[in-house]
Amino acid sequence: MSTETDDSGALRSLVPPEQIDRLFSVCDAHGWKLLAAGAVVGALPPVLGLQQGYIMTVLSEMYLFAVLALSWDIVGGQTGYPSFGNMAFFGIGAYTSGILFKDFAVAFPVAFLVAGVVATVFALFIGAIVLRLRGHYFAIATLGVLLAAQQVSRNLDITGGASGKILLNGPDGAVFYYLFLGLLVVEAAVVYYLSDTRFGFVLNAIRDDEGKATAMGFNTTYYKTAAWGIAALFTGFAGGAYSLFNTFINPQTAYNGAWNVELIAMALLGGSGTVAGPIIGAFGLHTIIELVESHAVGWQLVLLGLSVIVTVIAIPEGVVGSLREYASQMEYYKRGGMAATDDTAEDGDQPDDAPPAGGDSA
Amino acid sequence: MAATQFIVNGLLVGALFAAVAVGFALIWGVVDIINLAHGEMVMLGGYTSYWALTLVTGNAEGSPILFLATIPIAIGAMFVVGYALQRVLVSQVIGTDIFLTLLVTFGASIAIQQLAIQAWSANPRSIQVSFASPSFTVGGVVVPKMKLVAFVGAILLTVALYAFLQRTRTGRAIRAVSQNPEAAALVGIDVERTRAITFGLSSAIAGGVGAFIGVILNIQPQMGLIYTLKSFVIVVFGGVGSIPGAMVGGLLLGSVEELVAGFISSQWTLAVSFSLLIVLLVVKPKGLFGEG
Repeated sequence: MSTETDDSGALRSLVPPEQIDRLFSVCDAHGWKLLAAGAVVGALPPVLGLQQGYIMTVLSEMYLFAVLALSWDIVGGQTGYPSFGNMAFFGIGAYTSGILFKDFAVAFPVAFLVAGVVATVFALFIGAIVLRLRGHYFAIATLGVLLAAQQVSRNLDITGGASGKILLNGPDGAVFYYLFLGLLVVEAAVVYYLSDTRFGFVLNAIRDDEGKATAMGFNTTYYKTAAWGIAALFTGFAGGAYSLFNTFINPQTAYNGAWNVELIAMALLGGSGTVAGPIIGAFGLHTIIELVESHAVGWQLVLLGLSVIVTVIAIPEGVVGSLREYASQMEYYKRGGMAATDDTAEDGDQPDDAPPAGGDSA
Repeated sequence: MAATQFIVNGLLVGALFAAVAVGFALIWGVVDIINLAHGEMVMLGGYTSYWALTLVTGNAEGSPILFLATIPIAIGAMFVVGYALQRVLVSQVIGTDIFLTLLVTFGASIAIQQLAIQAWSANPRSIQVSFASPSFTVGGVVVPKMKLVAFVGAILLTVALYAFLQRTRTGRAIRAVSQNPEAAALVGIDVERTRAITFGLSSAIAGGVGAFIGVILNIQPQMGLIYTLKSFVIVVFGGVGSIPGAMVGGLLLGSVEELVAGFISSQWTLAVSFSLLIVLLVVKPKGLFGEG
């Protein structure tokens, strides 16, 4: 919001804001350590004897949502093309693996891999059309894609129509636990790595000013489409695993409109345009929704709607964005309001998640 | 002959779509917001009429006069809801990122929809009006009476809105704000209030149409999103900010849907509308009547 402060390398002299900054800064050794530590902690529950049951299911779903939120953020947060239709990739992945597994007796690992590929191919095809649109038009067109995909699945025979498909005899719960965790770790690593490459810079440049990015000679269509494809790949994998994890799919569960909002809310709540934000948002919001669901069935979607509204109005930058904002303000005051002069020196350190606010969730 | 029947059906329903879309286009044009909760105003309007009728007759059945008397109630109630929506929520995010405005209205849409499910259950309901059958038959084409009433009602609502925008002082203020909010503020127009009134008017017309939809189709808490998207298709087709464009777009969408339902299957109407939306966005994003 305050464009005069830029939370770049100048923070390094301060203790508490620096901690915040380091925690969420991009591509230094610290981040990789954090990711590795997260992966190890995530891998522990089954080893410690929690093989089945409620907690495992909830944790698996939590990782699943983190994958979806992070995928959304590659295009919505990093590139600035807010999609309302990501669940289309999920549904296509879910149906692909479900149909291959049940009707063609394909082994689950193969069905899972094919699901990701099919979702990506679909995304590249659709992306070629909808990524030409901007703003309102892009958002609504992607919502239209989602609803059209849902309608088509409802009307075809191969998908089992409106009644859906029951998918028994898949792998057991622990497999899915590790699968979702693995997807999340791999995706976080990919996004984390990309955000310090030219690819990541160009995505952010497109978000900030697509015209300028084009004028600088970047083929923005290529970058947008590639980001869209990566997002669809992980979303498709997640869907491919989900159908057998859930043992049932129908048009409502595969193209879940509520989830579509949920994953956007997660990315925004945590802080879009960052790596940690969508993951934190997914863990936090999923926990809250799970709690509400177990105590007041039916009210979780009311809460979802309200949490979207409150997030957008109160913390449009999300938790991570707000913390970073706070860190940079502390720095600004500490330096007597002159911090802005220093931001050129180390700007290259963290181009990913430090667009001086405003453009963050564009 | 079948085709004529489908087109007549389409035009009759299309006028309702058009009236909803006119409200949607008004907000888009004046406040520069895509109101994703617009369809919820249709839903709430339908329920207002339904419950008002139930309050009087004990069930949702009544004479045509009694039903028509509930429409001003639906319109008034939705004006208040729309006005409040703008004042309380949307005004907070105006001027920020487009996506945030979309999300706020989307959040409102989900919250309203889910609260409606909690309050009234997800079962579809409809309003029964006593003189509904038999239908007229004109030259071999069947025209259900209530559809004709709803058609006329929707046209009247649209015309009334158009006249209001053209003839009244508030209407001129609304048009001024749509053209240039800063200049409007300079000449002494209260922009925030004008925007809230616009939201109110747009929701009011949607609410009135919702009551008619309750008579000829049915109402249920999750119907809103479909109407929002249909409005979007229609507005994109007709051109943003063009009321005649929205009218033509609505009638056309209604006809296309009925033809698809008649010649292919009613299951495919939504898939066709949404595909049409995507094609339109790519081929003609400014619409048939849009400038530029």
